[in-house]
Amino acid sequence: MKIVDIDDPKYPPLLKQIPSRPDKLYYKGQWDEAIFAKCLAVVGSRRMTTYGRQVTTELVEKAALEGITIVSGFMYGVDAQAHRAALKAKGRTIAVMPCGIDLIHPAYQEDLYWQILNSRGLIISESEGQAPPAKWSYPRRNRIVAGLSQATLVIEAALGSGSLITAGLARKFKRKLFAVPGPLTSSVSRGTLQLIKEGAVVVTNIDDILSLYGLDRQKKVKFRENQFKCLGRLEKEIINILSREPKEIDYLSRQLKIASSKLGAVLSLMKLKGFIGQERGKYYVGKSFFGS
Amino acid sequence: MLVKVSSALNLGLHTLAMDVEVNLAGRGLPAFEIVGLPTKAVAESKQRVRIAIMNSQIQFPKSRIVINLAPADVPKEGAFYDLPIAAGIIAASLACPLPDKSLFFGELSLDGRLRHTKGTLLLALFAKEKGVKNIFIPKESANEAAAVKGLNVYPVESLSQLVACFCGNQDLAPVESSKKEVNEKHFKKAEFDMKEVLGQEQAKRAMEIAAAGSHNLFMTGSPGSGKTMLARAFPGILPPLSEPESLEVTKIYSTSGLIPPDGSVVKSRPFRAPHHTISPVGLIGGGSRVKPGEVSLAHRGVLFLDEFNEFPRSALEALRQPLEDYRISVCRSRGKAIFPAQFILLASANPCPCGYLYHPGRDCICSAREIEKYRKRISGPILDRIDMLVEVPVVDVKAFSAFDFQKAKNFLERSESIRQRVIRARNIQSKRFKEDSIYVNAEMKNSQIKKHCFLLSRAKEILIDAAAKFNLSARSYYKTIKIARTIADLDGCQNIEDSHIAEALQYRHWGGDKNFA
Repeated sequence: MKIVDIDDPKYPPLLKQIPSRPDKLYYKGQWDEAIFAKCLAVVGSRRMTTYGRQVTTELVEKAALEGITIVSGFMYGVDAQAHRAALKAKGRTIAVMPCGIDLIHPAYQEDLYWQILNSRGLIISESEGQAPPAKWSYPRRNRIVAGLSQATLVIEAALGSGSLITAGLARKFKRKLFAVPGPLTSSVSRGTLQLIKEGAVVVTNIDDILSLYGLDRQKKVKFRENQFKCLGRLEKEIINILSREPKEIDYLSRQLKIASSKLGAVLSLMKLKGFIGQERGKYYVGKSFFGS
Repeated sequence: MLVKVSSALNLGLHTLAMDVEVNLAGRGLPAFEIVGLPTKAVAESKQRVRIAIMNSQIQFPKSRIVINLAPADVPKEGAFYDLPIAAGIIAASLACPLPDKSLFFGELSLDGRLRHTKGTLLLALFAKEKGVKNIFIPKESANEAAAVKGLNVYPVESLSQLVACFCGNQDLAPVESSKKEVNEKHFKKAEFDMKEVLGQEQAKRAMEIAAAGSHNLFMTGSPGSGKTMLARAFPGILPPLSEPESLEVTKIYSTSGLIPPDGSVVKSRPFRAPHHTISPVGLIGGGSRVKPGEVSLAHRGVLFLDEFNEFPRSALEALRQPLEDYRISVCRSRGKAIFPAQFILLASANPCPCGYLYHPGRDCICSAREIEKYRKRISGPILDRIDMLVEVPVVDVKAFSAFDFQKAKNFLERSESIRQRVIRARNIQSKRFKEDSIYVNAEMKNSQIKKHCFLLSRAKEILIDAAAKFNLSARSYYKTIKIARTIADLDGCQNIEDSHIAEALQYRHWGGDKNFA
């Protein structure tokens, strides 16, 4: 069994600072102190929206690319997306489990579990064996997520959600708190908007986060403009509509006054080129046209 | 005295020759017996025949009557043999000869009249195949049999009429093969016009393609988005049945007893919408007497499965064979049968148990586990066999009232104009498949795809690109080509162009929605 206890010099120093630090950490994977040097906790709703997915992917990929370790809770929704985005950017990521170290929960994310371990990542838990998760174990797990990290980024959170608990802990531990603004109408944005009201740092692009770690983006991608220039007139109009909000094909067809059969062919090709994506029946702008 | 009357026996869609041998023995106590594995309905025919003969003012012979239904080892079911038995008894007792090369078939009523009997079309086809000239069947069922040409179909109203005809007192004229349509009440016409469905341009287009090439379509969307309404409007854009198709469908309806009295062949495409509590046997066919199920009753038409996820898993999995082979073979202890089942599967489902996942205005209350469980009810193999997937968004009524319909009339097309395009595309297909013994693009096998689907080089590039990028299975790859073929047919194009492939790809559910969490 792999354990690191509180007296071990390998115990993460940031976690050691918090008052309710766990005495023992069980872990899977290769313990390497360097992984804890620059940690960013990324938490958010289980009911992630398309917007949430876009933002998580965008921010986490860029952060991981700069060598920041992404810490999250392995739950489905924003957590899982954060782990996946970090892996995609070939970065390292730590999953803090609410259950015993030998249990994979939720079980259907087993593929993600092994990917984390195979990419020099860590799985951490404070309980041993096959202990099942309980209602109280999630908020307790959250103190480790917040405690390991210099900063916590909340992507989407409903009022009264676990993500707000993590945010509250981060504040209590005097760590930096970032929140992503969202539409006032979305129930999973109310929590993040409240955090902003209470003084969390608004994130509008990745530089807001990187500066905390003393990092600078190495290559600012400028091809958005270039790529936009190559597009046809219709494609430009589509990108313009979709960059406001993801929309279904019926809406586009009505706005652009083009039969959905013709438009379908155009959208299909744009999707093939990666200009746009499709989720939940709606199209959204692809990565090259999203964010900065 | 011994008289032999020819009749026939319908087993599923298969017809066997059967002889009804009637022996009247002068000696011995009067009796009436039927041998040759009669089941209950056949054995009871004794009473019907005796009383019907008496009520037709014909003396019932006071002799020892033995009826043998040959071949004796096949169980006989149904009331079809009343007429041959009665005809045999009358011929034997009155000593008047029956016309040769004739088949008798039909159920008797106690007053001596003949009742509507199912399966007369199969009988007529069988008679034609065996070179039998005349068939005597109940008048109410004669229109159906008259669809077979080159045969004298005699519509018999009552036993006394038949006897008068045998004795030469009265002439019985065969029915003219009629063009009369089957009584529509058994087949649904479109309840809605496509014009009445607001928005849903993509879904309507997908339906047009489905109707044109007989492709399967799966619609998902929240309650109230219009899935069921679209499906109910679907029959309105279907092309009419061609003559050979109509005969195929009528055979199935005839053996199931679904042709109404005086009905002729089925002229409109069937639209079957069984409830989701249906059993596997009800869906695919079977039972102790092997009967066609809903998949066969939907042959050449539409099988609409509303709330697809709510159907029993066993019933859905049973759809695999018909979706692949366009027929279903049913084996039961009492016999086996092969029924054709080439239908358009139109399925609809909610995105989650509560139905409001992705709804713009309402929150979904399902947990991820519930959603996962709900989706897992439809297995991968079934999803892979469905040609097209569309998501039916919730229609924003407010946006619609603001939208000016007068300016964009083409968005609210009438069913009839869509139907004209569908018919054109079907005509192209029937010309193309003249030598292939299939009717529609969906039925193409891989070799036929190679023969009939020429992809322009740009189209091929896109398809190969997409196959690599979206991990298309081999089946998916060919299905995309088939759908593109139909889109090209709707466009009136000989070759498949890039825009056709691109549009077809849109309906294949790659990537899409797997990751809902």
